[in-house]
Amino acid sequence: MAINPVPDHVPPEMVRDFSLFTSPGMPPTPNGDPHAAVACAHDGPPIFYSPYNTQDGRGTWVITRAADQRKVLQDAQTFSSHRSIFSSVLGETWPTIPLELDPPAHGVFRSLLSPLLSPKRVTALEPAVRERAIALIDGITASGTSCDVMKDFAFPFTVGIFLRFLGLPDQGLDTFVGWAKNLLHGDDVERPVAARKIVAFIDELANNRRKDPVDDLMTFIVQAQVEGRRLTDDEVRGIGVLVFVAGLDTVAAAIGFDLAYLARNLKDQELLRSEPDRIVLATEELLRAYPPIQLIRVATKDIDFEGAPIRKGDYVSCATMIANRDPEEFESPNTVDLAREHNRHAAFGYGPHRCLGSHLARREIVIGLEEWLARLPTFRIKEGTAPITCGGHVFGIENLILDWS
Amino acid sequence: MRIIVHNAKCQGHARCSAQAPSIFTLDDEGYVLPGDINVAQGDELLASRAVRSCPERALEVDSPSAARFDPAAIQPKAGEA
Repeated sequence: MAINPVPDHVPPEMVRDFSLFTSPGMPPTPNGDPHAAVACAHDGPPIFYSPYNTQDGRGTWVITRAADQRKVLQDAQTFSSHRSIFSSVLGETWPTIPLELDPPAHGVFRSLLSPLLSPKRVTALEPAVRERAIALIDGITASGTSCDVMKDFAFPFTVGIFLRFLGLPDQGLDTFVGWAKNLLHGDDVERPVAARKIVAFIDELANNRRKDPVDDLMTFIVQAQVEGRRLTDDEVRGIGVLVFVAGLDTVAAAIGFDLAYLARNLKDQELLRSEPDRIVLATEELLRAYPPIQLIRVATKDIDFEGAPIRKGDYVSCATMIANRDPEEFESPNTVDLAREHNRHAAFGYGPHRCLGSHLARREIVIGLEEWLARLPTFRIKEGTAPITCGGHVFGIENLILDWS
Repeated sequence: MRIIVHNAKCQGHARCSAQAPSIFTLDDEGYVLPGDINVAQGDELLASRAVRSCPERALEVDSPSAARFDPAAIQPKAGEA
């Protein structure tokens, strides 16, 4: 992968050797803690330029302070989210929707989809979510005293819920997770292959639902109207791809990091097990400490932002894991305090593109932790094993083997 | 206690209604309903927690005692008649 040269308008003193992809703790690391590793961003200036900070090796400005990230993410006119995040892998430019639409088109599509993932709707989904968590955990405890959390619980739990929401069968689960993994963490060959498979799959699903409507999300999308017209094929694809990719590994990663934390911090584990009423608040703190996503925006015009000469077309990174460790926003940001009350964390972003699935994600994490702690005795990282963590566009954890023998 | 709701800033995080569902009502999309909110006396602590939990700073406590207090009325600035 070629590293793009630092643009001429970036003052050399604002360039910093920091990357969510290549800095220490970002490549796959046994027993790593990539969230703590990025907290070092706060040792330097509040805004700097990283020459290599996207999957395809582009440079970005890095906004470290939560307050500055809020300004960027709330100003979608100046900082657009349309960078063809998915289609560019295929050499195309269509937007994922609503993420990569700017106002006012954004609002139209956001309003179309918001009710499907509103707090009210998520409350209605809750019994099915809990049922799924219990079934998986009962299966795990019946078959032994250790498991691979990601393979046996986090992925089947979160992706299963998601597939049901999309109207897809569970059997596709491993295939879909494989596509997402290759798309997010694959090399230059794997990524386009995965992207093409996802697009073909979404297009086919949309065609099927046009012919034979059922009660699911894709049927809703192909039948929906915006401004008195049906959606175009590109719009249907833009929504389908975004919803598909957004739900595949983000919540699973969050649950993985949370259970790894509890496996290593037995006092906190016991506190939540004996007082499960604390889990809702604790989940917010775990979302603060271990959020999985880096958000990137593109400047639509030249702007001097808090001393940084940002020029039209520059990428601007708002990594949630950096904002969430901002000492100006959080007291003792590197300490996990499960009873933390003042916690305006940025795990779901800010502004008009705030995560549309946040209410579902949050309930999945809470329910996952509630049922896991209620049904398993004290669990630890299995002796002789080491979970492998990685940074990147979406932080991840693998090989998380828990043992409760 | 009164809470000023800045609807233009609300992005539907729904943290307020998670903290205090009886005080903050959401529309079908999950955004807080427009209009300032008068908080009953016993609910003030809960309401102020919810205000602090808004990631967008879309909620603001309007303290009536502070609003009535006009420093200029008591201590005119130097040079003013």
